[in-house]
Amino acid sequence: MLLKRIFLGVLGASFGLMTAGGVFTVLLAVGLIPRFAGKTHTGRRVMLYETMVILGTMAGDICSVFEPQMGAAATGRLGVPEPVLNCAAGVLLACFGFFAGIFIGSLAMAIAEMLDSIPIFARRIGFRHGLGIAVLAVALGKAAGSLYYFCERMFLFGG
Amino acid sequence: MENKTVYIKPKRNAEVMKEDVFLKDIASLTCTDEPLLAKAKALKVYHFQEGGEKRVVISNLRLIELIQGLEKGVSVENVGEMDTLIKLVKMEKKGFLVWMKVVFVALISFFGTAFTIMAFHNDIGIHDVFNRIYEQVMGQTSNGFTTLEVTYSLGLAVGITLFFNHIGGRRITQDPTPIEVEMRVYEKDVDDTLIETADREGKTIDAS
Repeated sequence: MLLKRIFLGVLGASFGLMTAGGVFTVLLAVGLIPRFAGKTHTGRRVMLYETMVILGTMAGDICSVFEPQMGAAATGRLGVPEPVLNCAAGVLLACFGFFAGIFIGSLAMAIAEMLDSIPIFARRIGFRHGLGIAVLAVALGKAAGSLYYFCERMFLFGG
Repeated sequence: MENKTVYIKPKRNAEVMKEDVFLKDIASLTCTDEPLLAKAKALKVYHFQEGGEKRVVISNLRLIELIQGLEKGVSVENVGEMDTLIKLVKMEKKGFLVWMKVVFVALISFFGTAFTIMAFHNDIGIHDVFNRIYEQVMGQTSNGFTTLEVTYSLGLAVGITLFFNHIGGRRITQDPTPIEVEMRVYEKDVDDTLIETADREGKTIDAS
């Protein structure tokens, strides 16, 4: 039994190590965080951003892997009155949605850009002016598509 | 006549604080002739207009031309870049705004990666995978909180810490972290683009 447990432990640790390598190589290859740092001229704080990446991953990991246990812990409420708890949860959810949205939006565009789809397309159709409008259209389209998806509750039907 | 050679090594990207740009701000120089060297260093290569563009690309042929104009029979050897991007940066405003930006990016990094890893776990159906492995190995049903989940999380933490090469502010090895490397690559790409754009639009300050 103990041997099996150790075997499981080794398995788990190697899964974790490999996932870390895989997922973060992709994130890095896209070069999202350097770009954020570059845009805001805060290149000297790169270490802080990396720490936040590490902490964020750990938080996400705990929330999704230990989902059942987290649910049980949340119903305990820790003696905090309900309105305060609801308020805090609302703020947290709003923060999560907003910042995760920014991250995913940038990630999607960065991947599209890495595949050179935009420059190639622009060149094919002889596109010279109005690139700003096209970019705005892409952003609005993404926002509209996302809202439509959630409004119609498409995730319920796997559509 | 003695042959005087000035060696110049212009930078690719020079940031200056003042409107008047001197040669010593954008290149390092050496020469056996001290007075000539001093004169060359003090050459004014560009003047930023008030309210004008905050950056300019200067061809190093122009620098060579300027140095040659100092004295007869001077030869110039360029051992650095071909074009230099000069940026006028005002003293960075310390304080609230910068702090806000840092917090903003930090929050994006935190929530964004939290979402990414959760989406990834959801995608691969991590509970399913773990439960099956647990059953295969232990021969009994998993309760969803086992050695596998705990060690997986630990492994993830170790892996990404090793990957980013630091714990908090302390580096594990002396190497730069991957994001620092990416940061330099990104800056270099931006500089290249600016230089080439200026060249294509004919805005480079070239030798006359």
